[in-house]
Amino acid sequence: MIKSFFKITVLVFFLKGFPLWSQNCDFILSGTVKDLHDGSPIYGAIIRIEGTDSFAQTQENGTYVLKALCAGSVVFLIEHAECNSIRKKVSINSNTTLNFELEHHINALEEIIISDNRLKGLNGNAKESRLNADQISRFSNQSLADALTTLAGVSSLKTGNSIAKPMIHGMYGSRVGIIANGIRLRDQEWGPDHAPNIDLNAFQSVQLVKGATALKYGGDTPGGIIVLSPHRLILSDSLFGQTIMNAATNGWGGSITSKLMKTSSNGYYINGQLTAKRFGDLSSPQYVLSNTGMREMNISFKLGRSKISKGWELNYSRFQNETGILRSAHIGNIQDLLRALKEDKPLRIEPFTYRINAPKQQGLHQNIHLIYFNQFNDKLKWKWDYNYQVNTRKEFDIRRGVPLDVPAIDLKLQTHSVLGSLQWKKGFNWEMEWGINAMLQDNYSDPNTGVKRLIPDYIKTQLGSYLVGSYKPSNSFHWDWGVRLDRVGWDVQKYYNVSDWKSRNYNTIFPQFEVNNIGNQILVNPALNFLNFAAQTGISIELSEQFNTSFSYVLSQRSPNASELFSDGLHHSLATIEFGSLTLDKESSNKFLFSLTKTQGKLKGAIEPYFSKINNYIFIAPKALQQTIRGAFPVWQYEATDALVWGVDTVLGFDFTDQLNFDINASYTHAQDMKNELPIINIPPFNSSQSIQYSSPKKRFDIKVMHHFTATQNRFPDLNFNVTTLQEDGLIEQEVDVSTPPSAYQKLDVFFSLYLGNIEKSKTSLRFMFYNITQSKYRDYLNRMRFYADEIGRNVQVQFVFSY
Amino acid sequence: MDNTIISYTKNTLLLLFLISVSSCSKDTPGVVNEEELITTVVLNFSTQGEPDQTVRWETEAANSAEIILKANAEYDVQITFLDESDPNDIENINEEIIEEADEHQVFYEFSGVSVTYGQGSSDALDSNQNPVYINSIWNTNAANSGIVRVFLIHEPTTKSATTRDGFGGETDVSVDIPIRIIEE
Repeated sequence: MIKSFFKITVLVFFLKGFPLWSQNCDFILSGTVKDLHDGSPIYGAIIRIEGTDSFAQTQENGTYVLKALCAGSVVFLIEHAECNSIRKKVSINSNTTLNFELEHHINALEEIIISDNRLKGLNGNAKESRLNADQISRFSNQSLADALTTLAGVSSLKTGNSIAKPMIHGMYGSRVGIIANGIRLRDQEWGPDHAPNIDLNAFQSVQLVKGATALKYGGDTPGGIIVLSPHRLILSDSLFGQTIMNAATNGWGGSITSKLMKTSSNGYYINGQLTAKRFGDLSSPQYVLSNTGMREMNISFKLGRSKISKGWELNYSRFQNETGILRSAHIGNIQDLLRALKEDKPLRIEPFTYRINAPKQQGLHQNIHLIYFNQFNDKLKWKWDYNYQVNTRKEFDIRRGVPLDVPAIDLKLQTHSVLGSLQWKKGFNWEMEWGINAMLQDNYSDPNTGVKRLIPDYIKTQLGSYLVGSYKPSNSFHWDWGVRLDRVGWDVQKYYNVSDWKSRNYNTIFPQFEVNNIGNQILVNPALNFLNFAAQTGISIELSEQFNTSFSYVLSQRSPNASELFSDGLHHSLATIEFGSLTLDKESSNKFLFSLTKTQGKLKGAIEPYFSKINNYIFIAPKALQQTIRGAFPVWQYEATDALVWGVDTVLGFDFTDQLNFDINASYTHAQDMKNELPIINIPPFNSSQSIQYSSPKKRFDIKVMHHFTATQNRFPDLNFNVTTLQEDGLIEQEVDVSTPPSAYQKLDVFFSLYLGNIEKSKTSLRFMFYNITQSKYRDYLNRMRFYADEIGRNVQVQFVFSY
Repeated sequence: MDNTIISYTKNTLLLLFLISVSSCSKDTPGVVNEEELITTVVLNFSTQGEPDQTVRWETEAANSAEIILKANAEYDVQITFLDESDPNDIENINEEIIEEADEHQVFYEFSGVSVTYGQGSSDALDSNQNPVYINSIWNTNAANSGIVRVFLIHEPTTKSATTRDGFGGETDVSVDIPIRIIEE
């Protein structure tokens, strides 16, 4: 394959000196060809006009020029040895610029992700749901969720500033799949205050798939999936790397990340990456947010050999962090909460420090991944993935009479997963993949914490099989479909308080689970099984040179997660007692998505409405008050309802000139609990971001001003409750308002990037980023800390990116 | 082609077998001994010429006991916090409170009755000589009835406040006990 590629290259160079034969024609077509995933220029792609001998080859910077073209309609073929070809019909009546993006086959290690927007990227500069390497580097010292919020339809659900999980169309946690390097991340995704254990710096591109569920990785993600892909492989002798250094004024900290990759023409490759981050207490515009520092240290390592027909890869990654939680958010009872709500400022403001005290979280995630694939012929390939993930999580609370180093939560989650797949290709049009996926998950909750287990010990097994396919008769039509069936089994060992077990009637519903009584506790051994079916189908159509449309339907079924079934304990940041429910059934979601995209011209953009109906939607709601020695506590319990979620995501871009452009990004989500006729809690309010960017003519620098607007959420359920406070003349009921969302807010960011050195060859750049430059004081509805403190204020960040 | 599928299927079965073998059942988890639990608050009142009066507040109990004090009198009040979750191993939390006096504060809030209180003779003091009010002297005024709310505050932001809000910190104990002050 490589040989033939060289032949073509030689041929092209040979032909280049000759004028391309055309009669009476003098139009010029030029543009660039870039990689679909990371936006890097593709060298050596061939642009051919079908039915003629005219063709050109891209330079090292990805540019090409085709001269002497005639007016009229022509069909282009864009080809590259390692990429999917593109066929595109264009009518020419002036000198035209046409940019292409090729889907690079990461050689034979390519992933087939059936997605609704697969075609979108093939036709030029459509605004898309993905982040390229350049965008990722901007977020080098932030979290995955922060980076993703720049995409329409994504919000982040936060606990403070450093613990953030991505939310797609108002869904998060178990409803959103995170796929890194071809495997599903299995960490403690269930609670809102656990952030995914992922280092963004280890990846080259992030793709957001809102509609399609990647059935290969599971059929249980009604929100969508986030696909993180590593640097693509080049089968030649090369050594390259990148270092990114960041320094920021808010938190007086920074990060450094460095990666190095060595590839060789015999197929071997080796890759290493290291990230370190350290921040002290962050600051809101008016005060220090005490105990919000964080530290992170990540490392990953990859070794493999890829030949076209066969290959293997071994990779290991380790992610470790420690994150402080706002000290003032640790409260003892509802009266403390009421006191915090009344105050404009947090109750504890200490001088800035790098020290991280309790309450805090410590996480460690390790991952070993083994891949082997074998391609028998050009039609058939099989592939094996084995993956072992260990996730430990410790949470430290403010405690009395217990040594500081004893955590209140100490969980160890181990997951083994095997994925076997068989890919089959028929010609250019048909592709199919069948696979099986087995998973074994073991959760251990250390009893030495001296605190009742929030999540019990369990073994979860999952066995699934999927069949997905696509049909692509031409570049203007694409149909994909897939089905998946999973059996999920739980084998749990949990202690209940006898009183809780009885008050929930479990002693009559589940007498078979009871093992024995120990004092006022009862050991039970629930065995639960779920059978989940998922299906999806979608079509994409190129309506014209400028417009694409796609439609997809996804059925996903999700069995309740560990938290929804079994959680049992006190949440210190909201003074609530949270209970899971053993009687929950699986959740079924029917989601329809539509998109219309304009890919060419001065005005580009996409509009994407969606609609989903979820039966048995699992959520947590307040049930009762429980009297304790600390006063009455609201008890929240997981239950199910039917939900209706719809919304629209919009992206629009307008190019005033080649140098000046304007972008707008907006989304709206509407979610309703149909049984109780109430809005669903924690749904992102309308939000938009608009930016104007100027790039200097030779791309020596660019400057971008970005404005964010977040409306107030007017649709929220009233979950307020009363607390009795003692006054002169007796007990008075006072309302605790935990429902009313904060007011709308705006903020302004400014980015200035300077590109140094030889722009064509290296990507060395210096950036100055000013976040919340006007010190806007605001609180965000999706931040659990909003009851206690403002969001962070101005942050000036300097970033140096050096590629070699 | 056929061989491929056969070898693929073979491998599949092998891996599934390995997974099912490794999924043996788990050990029985140990019971968690809940530390830092407080289940009981005991108030003991003594004054000259009268028998002592003891009022208990217990988790998961009816707690209807009432404090009955004489008007215009002085009482020596001893408060005790207990962990009685294991009847065979009752733990006195006071020891811990006294040991970590800087991080703890007992506070009484009265409603409907007029009572003032101050440092007791055997009270614990923190490092700044502030009373913790483990032992306190109560002075009652006119006869009336109402409620006393008993607080144990952990890590208060100040030790010299006069209201619960003033102390800040986290509430470890907050129980309401009816109180009646009768004529002499």
